[in-house]
Amino acid sequence: MSSSFLVLPTTVVEKHPNLLFSFQVSLEREMMRNPASQQASPLSPGNRSVGPMFSSSSRFSNDMHVSSVSAQGRQSHNSPFISQSLRSREDFTPTHDSHSEVQSTEFIAYSDENKDLSWSVDSLLDFAENVPVQNSQVESSAGVFASEDHANRTNWQEWADQLISVDDDLEPHWSDILNDVNKTDSRQKELKPSPNISVQQPPIHQHQTAHSGEVCAVANPLSPAPPTKPRMRWTPELHEAFVEAVSQLGGSERATPKGVLKHMNVESLTIYHVKSHLQKYRTARYKPESSCGTSERKMSPVEEIKSLDLKASMGITEALRMQMEVQKRLHEQLEIQRNLQLRIEEQGRYLQEMFEKQRKREDDKSKTPSSSLDDPSLLQAKLEQSSTNNKLVASELDIVKTSNESALPEESSPSISRKQKAPEERNDLVLDQIEEESSPAPTKRPRRDESAELSTGAASN
Amino acid sequence: MKFGKRLKQQVQETLPDWRDKFLSYKELKKLVRLISSAPPFLNGSSEYGKSEAEFVRLLNSEIDKFNAFFMEQEEDFIIRHEALKQRIQKVIDTWGASASQPSEAEYKERMGKIRKDIVNLHGEMVLLENYSNINYTGLAKILKKYDKRTGGLLRLAFIQKVLEEPFFITDLVSKLVKQCENMIDSVFPAEEEEKENEGRETITVAGKGILRNAIAALMTMKEIRRGSSTYSHFSLPPLNLTESDLIPSFQLNSPISVAR
Repeated sequence: MSSSFLVLPTTVVEKHPNLLFSFQVSLEREMMRNPASQQASPLSPGNRSVGPMFSSSSRFSNDMHVSSVSAQGRQSHNSPFISQSLRSREDFTPTHDSHSEVQSTEFIAYSDENKDLSWSVDSLLDFAENVPVQNSQVESSAGVFASEDHANRTNWQEWADQLISVDDDLEPHWSDILNDVNKTDSRQKELKPSPNISVQQPPIHQHQTAHSGEVCAVANPLSPAPPTKPRMRWTPELHEAFVEAVSQLGGSERATPKGVLKHMNVESLTIYHVKSHLQKYRTARYKPESSCGTSERKMSPVEEIKSLDLKASMGITEALRMQMEVQKRLHEQLEIQRNLQLRIEEQGRYLQEMFEKQRKREDDKSKTPSSSLDDPSLLQAKLEQSSTNNKLVASELDIVKTSNESALPEESSPSISRKQKAPEERNDLVLDQIEEESSPAPTKRPRRDESAELSTGAASN
Repeated sequence: MKFGKRLKQQVQETLPDWRDKFLSYKELKKLVRLISSAPPFLNGSSEYGKSEAEFVRLLNSEIDKFNAFFMEQEEDFIIRHEALKQRIQKVIDTWGASASQPSEAEYKERMGKIRKDIVNLHGEMVLLENYSNINYTGLAKILKKYDKRTGGLLRLAFIQKVLEEPFFITDLVSKLVKQCENMIDSVFPAEEEEKENEGRETITVAGKGILRNAIAALMTMKEIRRGSSTYSHFSLPPLNLTESDLIPSFQLNSPISVAR
């Protein structure tokens, strides 16, 4: 089984261009159409002052900024490239012939730049997902992967597996394969823009997201041409600057968009943004003012209650309090759920990497496929562990939450941040548990030395 | 189909303006079915490639839709939040205890309105978070289906990208939510906690307002996370709303038929 993974990418690419073009076409188009974008984008990473990161010239670089900026303290993923590559736009038309050659190379280019992303993760995880629990079935599915029936898909997985997971630090030998493929690509010139991308990468990594007034813009998806109405992501700080400008110019009624724009002096904020924002601002201020003006109209208690959607003989205050409680609850649950989701994806990625390294070690050690059958079960056990851990994380968070329920509301923030920390610790525990081998019986792993190796590998990771 | 149904319910229950902003789950499922039923791609098989392209394209346009809507709403929230702060300040200054013309009646009345507005703003923000989350869940599920049906590898990489999309990064909204909570607590000190858990009958919630949506969202979330047949390491564990709730058991009126 391991041998099948060593199929050279070129053959796979030649056989199955179709599967790739959906990931490549838009990317290629963007690159071809917007060579200028590379120049535009350096502006934003360099701009560390209160200024939005915004580049309107192409959605490619927009996505890049969006992804990196909106990372917000999260590690800046390099997935803008993947994001761009995965996105196909309205003008998306498959052209099979020309793309068969280009796809591999471009993808390589991106994965070269893409330090964090390991797409081998996909193929491996998919493989892992397809591996059922019982060992007998493990064998059959492993056989399935090698069989001719699934040759097509397997090959694609292998190809993706090999090409995309280029991480210079971890997978140095993949670049050899990639270089080979590069040479076969006749349209290598189109890769020229990619060095620019890599140059821009480091500045983005400097987390500018912490700055106030940070704005990221996403190109309007509806206009295939250079976007005319890019979306601005407002922040409270930016809004404060806006309010300041408006008040300086005599209030929301008198201030003009142009004046506000000038006063704010925020780079890459367009008059269109200011105009729509001003409109919203006026509306928001007008309504409460008028309702304050007509405060003499006292609603009867029944009306009030009806407007609060509660058919109960309770006071308004009580109703509001209850509504607030429900909303708080929902908010808490959503936060927990979101953290779980992030954790899950992270674990999945991590396990993929481990699996990949494990396999690599296997390949290095011996070319015989003797260990292949154990790998799925090993991984499966780990995945089971992780799912158990997910449950534990969830229940743990619930416990934490319950114990906090009696606490004063002011503590809600710290308690939630503590809850959010819990998954982090939990994640580390997950790793420890995986390494410590305290799992229950279901999967007997005969190769203890393997897992020991794995743990050392993980520890050094 | 379970998620599809749940999603549909959510959409029905949701605020009217939001109805068409949710994930077109059914549509995507159709495409997945189409892809898996199309002849396994031979060289240059356009059918397979086309439906796959269509799938990816739809996914991307959905994400754009989420982003646009989300950021629009977020902008509104920022504005409203700040406007509320200003209002509070104004009321305190004009009719508050230490104001030039203190008037308890005026103060109380206006503060009452402000309180309602804060609670509603809070609710809408939380509902937006829910919007973000349920769409994300839908995407994850449909991608899983895709991978399963086609043996593809789309899911993991695509999800990684989704995690970075503006609509998924709800940090700001979350922060505003907490600020609202603080606002309420500071301006309206914690009320008496009488009649807490005793004798709480079921409360019927009617209408299509925010509270109803919030409750519906909670219930939906619970339902979605109930143990499923395809539970995997990528699944969320069951939602555990503890019994010792401060919140009495709610029941929603049967959904109002949408005769639009």
